[in-house]
Amino acid sequence: MGYITPVRRILTAPDLEKWKESPTYDSVVSFIETLAEAVKGKTNDAECEVSLPVSQVLLVLDDVEKSIDKFPVIQDKNTSRFGKVEFRDFYDEITQISKGLLSSRIPKLQLHNDGKTDNDENNEHCNNEHCNHDNDDDDDDPLTEICVYFNESWGNRTRIDYGSGHELNFMCFLLCLVKLHVLDLEKDATAIILKIFIKYMKIMRNLQQKYWLEPAGSHGVWGLDDYHFLPFLFGASQLSTHPHLKPKSIHNKEYVDMFKDKYLYFHCIWFINSVKTASLRWHSPMLDDISGVRTWSKVAEGMIKMYKAEVLNKLPIIQHFFFGKILPAPEGVSRPPSSTTTTATTAHTHNGETVVDPDSNEGLPGHVHTWGDCCGIKLPSAIAAHQLEAASKPIPFD
Amino acid sequence: MVDIDRTIELIKNSKHVPEEDVKEICQKVQEILIEESNVQLIYPPIVVCGDIHGQLHDLLILFEKNGQVPNSKYLFLGDFVDRGFYSVETFLLLISLKLRYPDRIYLVRGNHESRSITMVYGFYDECLRKYGSVNVWRYCCEVFDYLSLGALIYGSNSSGGDGTGNGVFCIHGGLSPYIEYVDQIKHIDRKKEVPHEGAMCDLLWSDPDDVPAWAVSPRGAGYLFGENEVKKFLYSNKLNLIARAHQLVMEGYKELFNGGLVTVWSAPNYCYRCGNVAAVLRIDDYLNRDYGLFDAAIKDVDAIPSKNPAAEYFL
Repeated sequence: MGYITPVRRILTAPDLEKWKESPTYDSVVSFIETLAEAVKGKTNDAECEVSLPVSQVLLVLDDVEKSIDKFPVIQDKNTSRFGKVEFRDFYDEITQISKGLLSSRIPKLQLHNDGKTDNDENNEHCNNEHCNHDNDDDDDDPLTEICVYFNESWGNRTRIDYGSGHELNFMCFLLCLVKLHVLDLEKDATAIILKIFIKYMKIMRNLQQKYWLEPAGSHGVWGLDDYHFLPFLFGASQLSTHPHLKPKSIHNKEYVDMFKDKYLYFHCIWFINSVKTASLRWHSPMLDDISGVRTWSKVAEGMIKMYKAEVLNKLPIIQHFFFGKILPAPEGVSRPPSSTTTTATTAHTHNGETVVDPDSNEGLPGHVHTWGDCCGIKLPSAIAAHQLEAASKPIPFD
Repeated sequence: MVDIDRTIELIKNSKHVPEEDVKEICQKVQEILIEESNVQLIYPPIVVCGDIHGQLHDLLILFEKNGQVPNSKYLFLGDFVDRGFYSVETFLLLISLKLRYPDRIYLVRGNHESRSITMVYGFYDECLRKYGSVNVWRYCCEVFDYLSLGALIYGSNSSGGDGTGNGVFCIHGGLSPYIEYVDQIKHIDRKKEVPHEGAMCDLLWSDPDDVPAWAVSPRGAGYLFGENEVKKFLYSNKLNLIARAHQLVMEGYKELFNGGLVTVWSAPNYCYRCGNVAAVLRIDDYLNRDYGLFDAAIKDVDAIPSKNPAAEYFL
């Protein structure tokens, strides 16, 4: 099959334009739209069929949840930073166990499976022409790709932060499972949100509160939320057929308390109110504005438009999107960044040994990186890398 | 002609400042800033402040606690904008004070005083919301390009106390491997967007850390530098302290490397949720340090009219 270690490919404004027109973009959007449609009018506790693969993914998430308890925050009076460093131990644990965890919990993902992805045919072309990964063709383990999305779903190890880009990685992880025919979108869509995504949100809230994750790339008060986007999108769809609740109901504390466990949207409002001081008008003017929209169905439609515009179409976020065989890169985009040209990638481990912290890979003068080929990826030539560097320097993190 | 005293009062009461006034203030303050050198020489006593990030009411508390301009002299180490609700008003207040009392308040550029960063982290959205167009954002970005890069505070006691140095180097981020002597900063052509790399970028982006030598920064810009770099820089430039901002510290300030460097953070309860206290660094005539702590203002939002509701996706 020839799986590859997923790499970043959207580095420039022209890349971004190609991305917006690409099959992978369309499949991400249609995946999210299908999921939103599947929970229309349904509360969190609505009955839905839990298939065997869905229950297997839930077991994986159970294991992730249990890992959190292994790394308590040790109150260190000498540390002045906001994010708690023990998050890194949790992150390292997940990256070390994820492959074994996924293959044991989801037997269909085990090596030498016969699963073919929907993209098998059009992938070959893209891979050979642009990716230069000839040596990888013998890698028939889809976990090579899936694990990257899975590991990226929990936040950034170095910066101890989390944002909508990490949330997107979790959706990519699920989309991979659909493309590999582990999950069946027709049958499982409702459970993917009401069971899997809700469980993921529970884990993320736990991580955010326990390790004080910083908001990644936050617009501050001017964004929708510090961490998440999709619970608002799916949550608005849940509410879109509700006969009584209106968008302005988020200002009613009793409603928020009453419906926080029924609707994702209300839980988000409840969470924000619980962590922020002052009023919603002040710390979340965007949500305040949206509460003025007449109907939840309008909010639900707008959320899809906004997700495209503010997440999928934004270079600061999509410059970190990973492409492999299952989610192929658009044709004609930049080659994978080399060690001297990338910025933030998250640290990953091979055989339990941290190879690099590529988050910090801005080359110092005379500093030679050797990690670039650690995943078997052939790097572009030094000249190409230099040209690339001149062309595209990703936007740094505050 | 804009009445600057009236504008200052308007902002302090979080009232809307007309776009034409913003334009005029921005143009006039450029004429003052262009005369300042890349590293401003300032004499104590002075109050050194860290990041504000649009938290206007907390800035007003800061002035209340440490003396109003011009009664007290201030140095702000950048990051006036982004994230908070009142970045426009915060920046306007600071440059209005600069216009009115140019020798009593000094403004140094932070990494957020940049077009590309403000487009990502909120200031751009805020200008669009409050003024219905990006004109105000443009005027402010032009001012950003004229802000000086750092400051040197020299003590009046030329013997330098313990004999190791007699000055405080003030900068938003930190050191750069390209800058050994403060004088080298003077050669930078600062009147431009903050570059992606090089000395000017590093000064605004770097962080101190527990590293043995220059190291890569997880931010993707600037460097990490350790005690060795700080000691060397202080010795070479006959200084006794580097005062910088750029990083949230829960206690408001944090001294590192045997007191050779301090991080000052002046945005209490950052982003209305971090629960941190804020600090300023007060430096007296003999370069003695004294930290003033303060908490977040207890105040809810005032009605700043918005011309362009964000709900465009939902129409």
